[in-house]
Amino acid sequence: MNKAKVIGTLMFTSIAAVTLAACGSNSSSSKKTTSSNADTSKIKPYTTNNKKSVSGATFKYGEQSASPFTGIFSNELSVDAVDSDVIQFANEGLFKVDDSYAFVKGGAADIKLDDDAKTATITINPKVKWSDGKSLVAKDVEYAYEIIANKGTQSQRYTESLQNIVGMAEYHAGTAKTISGIEMPDGDNGLKVVIHFKQMKPGMNTSGNGFIWESAVPYHYLKGIAFNKLISSDQIRKNPIFYGPYKMTKLVSGQSAEFVPNEYYYGKKPQLAKITFEVVSPNQAPTAAAAAKYDMLAIGPTSYAKVKDSDKVTVIGKDPLSYSYMGFKVGKWDSKTGKNVMNKDAKMNNKSLRLAIAYAMNVKGVAEKLYPDTGSQLATLIPPAFGKWSDSSIKAYPYSLKKAEDLLDKAGYKKGKDGYRTNPDGSKLTINWATISGNQNTELMNKTYMQAWKKIGLHVVYTGGKPMDANAWQDAVMNDASNVDMYDSGWSMSSEPSQDDLYSEAAPFNWERFVTAKNTELLKNMNSDKAFDTDYRIDQFHQWQQYMHDEAYVIPTLYIKNLYAVTNRVKGLSLEPTSSWADVSVTSK
Amino acid sequence: MWKTIIRRVLIMVPQIIILSLIVFFLAKLMPGDPFTGSGKLSPQMDLNQIQAIKKELGLLDPLPVQYFRWIGNILHGDLGMSYAYKVPVINLIAERAGNTIWLSLFSVLLTYLIAVPLGVLAGRYQGTHIDGGISFYAFAIIAIPGFVFYLLGLWLFGYQLGWFPTTGSISIAADGLLAKFFSRIYHMILPAILSSVISTTGIIQYLRSGIIDNTQEDFTRTARAKGVPERIVFDRHILRNSLLPIAAFMGNTITGLIGGSVFIENVFSYPGMGKLFIDSMNSNDYPIITSLTLLFGLMTLLGNLLSDIIMSIVDPRIRIE
Repeated sequence: MNKAKVIGTLMFTSIAAVTLAACGSNSSSSKKTTSSNADTSKIKPYTTNNKKSVSGATFKYGEQSASPFTGIFSNELSVDAVDSDVIQFANEGLFKVDDSYAFVKGGAADIKLDDDAKTATITINPKVKWSDGKSLVAKDVEYAYEIIANKGTQSQRYTESLQNIVGMAEYHAGTAKTISGIEMPDGDNGLKVVIHFKQMKPGMNTSGNGFIWESAVPYHYLKGIAFNKLISSDQIRKNPIFYGPYKMTKLVSGQSAEFVPNEYYYGKKPQLAKITFEVVSPNQAPTAAAAAKYDMLAIGPTSYAKVKDSDKVTVIGKDPLSYSYMGFKVGKWDSKTGKNVMNKDAKMNNKSLRLAIAYAMNVKGVAEKLYPDTGSQLATLIPPAFGKWSDSSIKAYPYSLKKAEDLLDKAGYKKGKDGYRTNPDGSKLTINWATISGNQNTELMNKTYMQAWKKIGLHVVYTGGKPMDANAWQDAVMNDASNVDMYDSGWSMSSEPSQDDLYSEAAPFNWERFVTAKNTELLKNMNSDKAFDTDYRIDQFHQWQQYMHDEAYVIPTLYIKNLYAVTNRVKGLSLEPTSSWADVSVTSK
Repeated sequence: MWKTIIRRVLIMVPQIIILSLIVFFLAKLMPGDPFTGSGKLSPQMDLNQIQAIKKELGLLDPLPVQYFRWIGNILHGDLGMSYAYKVPVINLIAERAGNTIWLSLFSVLLTYLIAVPLGVLAGRYQGTHIDGGISFYAFAIIAIPGFVFYLLGLWLFGYQLGWFPTTGSISIAADGLLAKFFSRIYHMILPAILSSVISTTGIIQYLRSGIIDNTQEDFTRTARAKGVPERIVFDRHILRNSLLPIAAFMGNTITGLIGGSVFIENVFSYPGMGKLFIDSMNSNDYPIITSLTLLFGLMTLLGNLLSDIIMSIVDPRIRIE
């Protein structure tokens, strides 16, 4: 599953919670290199152990989490990243994907889109069985949609995108008993599901598009439970079943879980006798990683220095689908119309000012100094991990105080006697920056930026006088508080790179609140009928990135790898989307 | 005495009501809510759906309405459902309290086992090398912040020496009742020892100075002058009086067993009450915040009462009227 969640913080341990995507079976041979400049570093996205595997071994997986996990083991009901990490060994997506997350044949089910008939036909592999031996059938695929859409479950997974399925909204409202747009031509126990859409979208052939749900539920196992009781049922909380390579056999609530091979697995035979999953407090995670206490443990970039020289573990890492950025407030959210409304006279609605701020930020220096080997300056809003969708010709804003000063001078921001610049109309200019209080690294980074801004004559102050508590920050930024002119944050994107959810006129998450005709047009083009032509779509993505780079409503900043400390005995582990836990083995006991 | 106890319990009722008001409104005043707080949003979610869920859960109702609904539910024994864990709060508290009470009990017992003999020795042999050594120990421990001390202990005994498990309250590998029981004990040893060592210092100092003070009291001199054997002088006259300040905390120590320690639970990923409390505040999980604060408040009030009762038993001069 490709999890996506917003990170309102620069604490990258939380982004690092993106899971080893267990979406395919066994063909992870072609390792495509993404065009990131950080890829030349020594951190690889897979293990390179070539020794002979041993059988009967226990693999210990550690998960950094400050809290016990909630234990909702359902793709449809949980929105918690740790919960989905727990079940990653058992939980496998319906469709196989390639390295750029596009659906390909050979998974638990195949998907075929028909743009003229406006349907997606899902054909289940007849060999796939749940870990209790029952076959995966059409009803299992359909029931997942019912669980998400039924009001009784109160699932946070129900979205506007899903309402693109015919009859979905009616089912959600309770006016229809079934979802009319989901057909099972061979009956509940058949192997075929046909989904009818109101409108086809170019992104539908890619995992994470949001229009197609990518997992199934064991209907035979859950059918007796009322929708509103599902989330607290033992079938979800204590004994969840899946059809992936391993199955859960034991669980200590909130702390640990144990997995053994699923004897009914349809793919490659799992090679580990046992996998244990355990929660580790972030306080002791670096020590645990360096001591090789776990065969695999996600580490934050700040622990990298402590772990990299250990001779017991190797650090592997992958460019994430997430990024950090600095955003500028140029408008407000209108809750009546459900639209962003740009304010022409907003303080930050001046391109020269925004660009000057960008030029004064030594992001490259910060990345090299604070996140050696793991971090870099990001040039565009579609990170390199998205491959062809990312425009590699765009160069990141260079660090140049002179360029920044020139821009401000030209735009009429004159320096006063106190060394600070005024607005072009002569009024006092104070920029309020909302940032979340973080660790030592973020403190140093903030200080670096503040000093540079002061040098170019910009009076930047922290909203509220100091870095903020995360919840207070969220409140202020989301609700367009008047004392927020700019803010820094991060987004973790879904593997389908559409930008409507983040930057369109109707996107509540467009916290900058910028709305321009050009932006709207480009976003529209990306998902227009013409965009079914991939080359055209890529071109629109590139044009949009260039436009965003020129306008600088959002400045991409740090791009930091997801890191894992892996013991040297581990073999076949990869962070690529094509990887599977069935490929993982160890070479000593 | 019974009359007094009943009166004290009755006074608790308005105290609890005031506490519930403060707790409820302060919790609601915190920035954020259980669904849109920091780290909970993703661009793939639909804010309209989240708003609909909030409405259904009554989170959009006026605060007084929510307050009275909450109180009404509590009076019916329903503490509500946790927003984050999606299980009844009462189950969650019961589960965590189990972990916490055993760990606290273990650690409190160890604390007294270590502190009382040390305090007595230091007081009795005041000015000797023994006293010096014990005082040095007490000051050294008090100078180290608990958090650092726990991490150091964990690093040394858990990682370097590898004597104890480093995380959780039980091993997943433990099968069978007996194995589970011993696994629990094994997981408790290190956190219990570390937290008891930290909390010994206060008791040692109280006891030491109590003994030194009481040694110079008139009644001690009289006893010695009468020719009472030194052992009895010490046990009956000096020690018993010196234990009074410790007895004064006894009630709160007992009711505090349920509160847990945020630090120790954090460092050892030990799922207890302290951790639950902090997590619920970070995630705006109102039903847990309010239930726990009420519980802790109630425990403090009970602890004070219990302390008074214990004092009246230990010290016949004190009577609660």
